[in-house]
Amino acid sequence: MNPILLVMTTATYRARAFVDAAARSGIPIVVGSDREPALGSLWPERFLGLDFDDVAKSVRRVEAFASAWPIAGVVAAEDDGVVLAAAIARRLGLRHAAPVAVARARDKRLMREALQRAGVPSPWFLSASADEDAAELAHEVEYPCVLKPPALSMSRGVLRANTPAEFAEAFPRVVQIMRDAGIGDPEVLVEGYVPGAEVAVEGLLTDGRLRVLAVFDKPDEMAGPTFEETLYVTPTRLDAETCRRVEAVTSDMCRALGLDHGPVHAELRVNDGGIWPIEIAPRSIGGLCSLALRFRGGVSLEQLLLRHAAGEDVGDWEREPAASGVLMIPIPRGGILHAVHGVEAAREVPGVDEVRVTIPMGHAIVPLPEGHRYLGFIFARAERAAGAESALREAHGRLSFDIHTE
Amino acid sequence: MITVTEGARAKILELMKSQGREGLALRFGVRGRGPGGFVYRLAFIDASERDATDRQEEAAGLTVVIDADSAPLVEGASIDYVEQAGGGGFKIDNPNPLWADPVALAVQRILDEEISPAVATHGGSVTLIDVKEGTAFIQLGGGCQGCGMADVTLKHGIEARILEVVPQITAVVDTTDHAGGHNPYYQPAKGGRSPYGA
Repeated sequence: MNPILLVMTTATYRARAFVDAAARSGIPIVVGSDREPALGSLWPERFLGLDFDDVAKSVRRVEAFASAWPIAGVVAAEDDGVVLAAAIARRLGLRHAAPVAVARARDKRLMREALQRAGVPSPWFLSASADEDAAELAHEVEYPCVLKPPALSMSRGVLRANTPAEFAEAFPRVVQIMRDAGIGDPEVLVEGYVPGAEVAVEGLLTDGRLRVLAVFDKPDEMAGPTFEETLYVTPTRLDAETCRRVEAVTSDMCRALGLDHGPVHAELRVNDGGIWPIEIAPRSIGGLCSLALRFRGGVSLEQLLLRHAAGEDVGDWEREPAASGVLMIPIPRGGILHAVHGVEAAREVPGVDEVRVTIPMGHAIVPLPEGHRYLGFIFARAERAAGAESALREAHGRLSFDIHTE
Repeated sequence: MITVTEGARAKILELMKSQGREGLALRFGVRGRGPGGFVYRLAFIDASERDATDRQEEAAGLTVVIDADSAPLVEGASIDYVEQAGGGGFKIDNPNPLWADPVALAVQRILDEEISPAVATHGGSVTLIDVKEGTAFIQLGGGCQGCGMADVTLKHGIEARILEVVPQITAVVDTTDHAGGHNPYYQPAKGGRSPYGA
């Protein structure tokens, strides 16, 4: 069997999950990362250095590689690699969402335009360049609204404004966050704030057909001014009809963008006005959150993704019957993390599988909207979703953080 | 037979006196293995801290207590004290090889001859810490410590190669404290550049 090319940066959260999945599935992999791999000289058939900022160059390199060691499929572990993975797949003639569709999904302005063209319900939106007069623009938009960078993830740089004054304050802050992220000529996406409960849909597309792997509730209210991701719990407690409509709108989003193959992770809001797409990403769930998903037989999401990329039929793989959830540990405040207390006590909460702090002691933690690192994760399983949620909340309540601000 | 040099003896007695612990025995043994070879343990102990399986020797008027596991590894070793510009330290001269077990030797050979030279080009290092019941325990250091790709380097490279060449090994366990490294996991990605180069 030819290997699957895994595209991931050295900053990935998911190296272990994918490498373990490959070993457990017996699927060979080649790891393409953004630095020349340490062992690439020893095993050039296993490792590949790629320049994520120069897609054309990297595609040529993979093409040369594949002429010696053919590749069966391409999977991007996280957002950083999706555009490159799509371009590689296109050049090698492998099944994957088209580069143009992936690029649309990576840019929230293009995504909003595509959804609007396709008639998928969307809030109003506009795009403003960094040099626009924020005070003037503030009087041209409706409130409440949300300002967001088109191509950052993890809610980085996303701010709600309820008044022109808040808008005028938020706009330069979002621009600065984008500049800090290396975006030279920032454009800010401004869109109507959509109230309501938020859900996340984890899906897998096969030749245009969406299979929903899980619908997660996000039980913590996300009303701004920042939008920190915290709780994800599945199965959803939405009623069956609403859930069906959520899945249908997710499918519409994929069609509107042209996404037809591979994993997708969508976020939507549900209110009396209907089901509203917030965004969709052409990759699987981020951070370590995939550990909250397990399929019958203890199969991981990464195993499923590798098998799918290898062309196997994964249509009958079902999520385990238990409810499960993950809490992305909220950042209490900015500063230097000196200690996290209560981790063992949190692990002892019935139903809690694991507690992982992912920012090392002595390192800075930065809250949203500037922050872009997870403080840590708590995972729980229970018979029902409410049980998983309460286990996560109780475990979190047992943690305390020693953060020095001086 | 352990040798304690006159310099080491004088320093040990000085330390015992300064700590008010005169008359104690010297615990000597191997705590583990590191990039520089054996990692030794030197401590003052009283009678209650001795184990029935410990070996006891007299050297330079001192009682030296060696645990049973360490005894064959330090046989013939000499404990010296060396004064240096930046401060003195105990120096152990040990004639024993790092590994006696042929399986551990085979793993060490792969690390020495194949893995370490390649990893060193990235400022990293790989140390075999122990081999027990078919499991090789290793530690990554330098640039590897905390790198997000450490799992890939370990599982996809180091472990795969060791399992391929040394059939007695069934698992390789990373004992590294990655949170303490220079390239800690989950550092921010290069940051959300627009796919259009904006």
